[in-house]
Amino acid sequence: MKWSNVRWILAREVRDQLRDRRTLFMITVLPLLLYPLLGTVFFQIVQFQRRQTTRVLVVGAASLQEVEGIPELFSGRRFAPRWFSMPARAEQLEVRFWEPGGRRLDMRAEARRAVLAGRCDVAVCFAPDFAQRLGRFRRQIKADWEVPSPDIFYSTASEKSQVGFVRVHEVLQRWKDEIGRKNLEAAGLPPKVASPFELATADVAESTGRRGAAFWSKILPVLLLVWAMTGAFYPAVDLCAGEKERGTLETLLASPAERSEIVLGKLATIMLFSMVTAVLNLASMGVTGWLLLGRMDPFGAPPPLAALWLAIALVPVSGLFSALCLALAAFARSTKEGQYYLVPLLLVTMPLVILPMAPGVEVTLGNSLIPVTGVVLILRALLEGNYLEALRFLAPVVVVTLVCCTLAVRWAIEQFNSETVLFRGGERLDVALWVRHLLADRRPTPTVAAAVSCGVVILVLKFFVSFAIPAPGSSEQFAVLCGVTQLAVIAAPVLLMTAMLTTSPRQTLLLRSSGLRGLVAAVALAFFLQPAVHGVRGAVMRLYPLSEEIERSLQAMVGQLPLWQIVLLVALMPAVCEELAFRGFILSGLRHLGHKWRAIIYSALFFGLSHALLQQSILATLLGVLLGYVVVQTGSLWPGVALHGVHNILVVAAGMLLPGWLERWPVLGWAIVRVDQHGVVFQWPVVLLSTLLAAWVVLWFHRLPYPRSPEEARRETILRAAQVDG
Amino acid sequence: MCEPVIEVYQLSKYYSDLRRGRLVALDRISFRAAPGQIFGLLGPNGAGKTTALRILSTLLEPSGGTAKVNGYDVVAHSSRVRRLIGFVSANTAVYDRMTAWETVEYFGRLHGIDSARLRERMEELFERLQMNDIRDLLGAKMSSGMKQKVSIARALVHDPPVLIFDEATVGLDVLVARALLNTVMELRGQGKCILFSTHIMREAEKLCDRIAILHRGHILAEGALEELRDRHEQDDLEELFFHLICRHDAEYGGDGSGAVPSGRATA
Repeated sequence: MKWSNVRWILAREVRDQLRDRRTLFMITVLPLLLYPLLGTVFFQIVQFQRRQTTRVLVVGAASLQEVEGIPELFSGRRFAPRWFSMPARAEQLEVRFWEPGGRRLDMRAEARRAVLAGRCDVAVCFAPDFAQRLGRFRRQIKADWEVPSPDIFYSTASEKSQVGFVRVHEVLQRWKDEIGRKNLEAAGLPPKVASPFELATADVAESTGRRGAAFWSKILPVLLLVWAMTGAFYPAVDLCAGEKERGTLETLLASPAERSEIVLGKLATIMLFSMVTAVLNLASMGVTGWLLLGRMDPFGAPPPLAALWLAIALVPVSGLFSALCLALAAFARSTKEGQYYLVPLLLVTMPLVILPMAPGVEVTLGNSLIPVTGVVLILRALLEGNYLEALRFLAPVVVVTLVCCTLAVRWAIEQFNSETVLFRGGERLDVALWVRHLLADRRPTPTVAAAVSCGVVILVLKFFVSFAIPAPGSSEQFAVLCGVTQLAVIAAPVLLMTAMLTTSPRQTLLLRSSGLRGLVAAVALAFFLQPAVHGVRGAVMRLYPLSEEIERSLQAMVGQLPLWQIVLLVALMPAVCEELAFRGFILSGLRHLGHKWRAIIYSALFFGLSHALLQQSILATLLGVLLGYVVVQTGSLWPGVALHGVHNILVVAAGMLLPGWLERWPVLGWAIVRVDQHGVVFQWPVVLLSTLLAAWVVLWFHRLPYPRSPEEARRETILRAAQVDG
Repeated sequence: MCEPVIEVYQLSKYYSDLRRGRLVALDRISFRAAPGQIFGLLGPNGAGKTTALRILSTLLEPSGGTAKVNGYDVVAHSSRVRRLIGFVSANTAVYDRMTAWETVEYFGRLHGIDSARLRERMEELFERLQMNDIRDLLGAKMSSGMKQKVSIARALVHDPPVLIFDEATVGLDVLVARALLNTVMELRGQGKCILFSTHIMREAEKLCDRIAILHRGHILAEGALEELRDRHEQDDLEELFFHLICRHDAEYGGDGSGAVPSGRATA
């Protein structure tokens, strides 16, 4: 890596962007103008909304004046100003009275119809005997005397009606309280009887200057992330897809600059613009918001240290988004195509940004391990002044963010190393043509595209099946769901695709013998791994606790099944069907990528995603990596089937049998600490010893001369040649 | 003949094409080129010229065979190879928002040339290619001829021993194309090894010391122009070209698709 090249590329790209008037306008001028303008419009809209009047239809109010002692609810054709917290607001309610008179009409039905037809926003209906009953109650207070409630009709389908309801409700509530007070007076009791004390409140945030921290801590991190991403996206598209379109990328690729240097130079440029965009937008928005909202009581001004925390968080956030945008933009053939990728990127990222805004979501170890979400939560804690809490989870957030940044940068470099990405032709996507091509040009094993398609088909089918079939309520339903999922969703598409898209099902699904030693080693590995598996399972369950209800129902459903069904549904069927899919078809196809480990990890990710619960997905991904490795090293699916099946049986058996065994034979305590809802906790020497034995078995697999795909063999030859000559 | 600078041996390249299935862009082609020589790759559109030159420029990886520049393999030592070549193509453009001087300077910097030497070299190049009047002109405002001059200056800034011109005269008017050809001949005089791809017969006749006629990924004939004329008993290069292409299409069938059945193409 020559850092001088990165510097030269950065300098050129920055100069290039600064000479583009559109970029300059978007980054600097727009934010400075946009927010003050938006603020003005917002202010005007608020004014306009405040002036909007509510049309209220009052039915049967005439009788109120006929009874003495009831406070005047109306003053002329309005509600009396005394019933409003701000008397001037009486003007906002336009009252229309309607008396049914001698007509025998259903008053309530009429009032409802008036709201539904939009003739008024809110209707208040007093029963004909309301005033008389109220008067009688006042004269002689008796507990069993009923006063009919006035009805308020409004519609939640109309916002205007909802606003009107709030206003009318406030008026009638105050009027009702006054009637109550007067009744007490008439009965010779002081009004304090009904309300002996008031609640005194004190906002301690006032003294710390962080009055609006709760509001700003939710809004500022989200805005920071959104602007960092938007600020990264457009320069990324111009720097990659734009260069491809203009024909200058080929020139740069033929220069001595390495692909990694080109990517880092471009990445630094995108990061710079992402950060500048975020800073300018936040500054402009902050000043406008402070002027506009700072004086409003619930909001207050942003916390004093907000700028510092946002600036610190901006660096990794911009780095992550810049690398993601760069990789996506490198994939695009043209600027237009690149811009289409913004929406999918937003759709994937926004849930991670919005999740921490949900009420009650706090920074925990589990949340802090979620990319982007962790950063938002830490920022929230810092803005709210919870420094200790932020500090506790800072390390995992930093590690996760750095790992994600590294992966995103590596992905971007991969994109720049892929000639199919860099020199993609302008061929239109024609699914029929692609399928015809797949069928006509079949090879012994599936292509990478066919493998990815198979994974996607399984995930989509699984999604629809999980919604189409209702959640199992009994063990029989659970058994049917397991069977249908394994056979129809996983095995059937794989076998169909193998028959249609490949010429050698045996080679594709790796249906060759591994020898007895391979099978024995796989079974031994399944046994030796159990203590470690239970340890990891317990850690995952503590990080992301499974709802007790789900856990209990799952255990109950499995527990009620006969043993042969458990072995069939939990061990044999997944072991065969899932191995055929993920370590057979998908892994065989992905090995044409030319990287053994990449193929293993991608197939494991598909395997993990095919599990419904997050906790299962994490464990399945980890197991998938091991299964993939065993299958690749032996060149046979059978050790994978053996390892998978035995592992599943052991996990289920441990949960079902060990608690009873521990009670019957306390001597087992030397190996097992306890069995809880998260699984078995083994004594640490047992975990250590068995993990060492498992590592020894993995080492045995590692020493096997595994069969390489042509792409892997070619890559190894090139690397060897480069090492020998270089 | 001097020691060859470019050695291409059994070079193949396949693409997967939705419309035409597995497309063989290059099928085991071999050739060599020496310093002070212009080696012409002559072929119709889609013959595989650009693919071959992109592999030599390390932009594409071969599917089979080897290609070496100065003894360095284009895949294993791509970085070293890129330092030894200057690549000019009809597809390579200049930056719209950079001046001619800035563009050439940028590539000089990427080649690691120090400031003083770079300035000296650029002054010499701008003088030789008569580019001083466009020194401060932005790429967006340049004509095709000016852009091609900047591309050549950019490719020559590090004084590489090998120059690759991929249909470099496409889209240029007669005067500019003539000037470019003169520059190429001058470079040969300086001992550079030049790979020059074209589909224009007259250019090939005028320039090339050796010619390879490429069609559908196969080299149909290779040698000095006189050798080819004698061997195939054709006086005119254009006639020779048609003769070879028609013979090849008659032998292997010519549906004009360029697709070769994958079984036959396996290297």
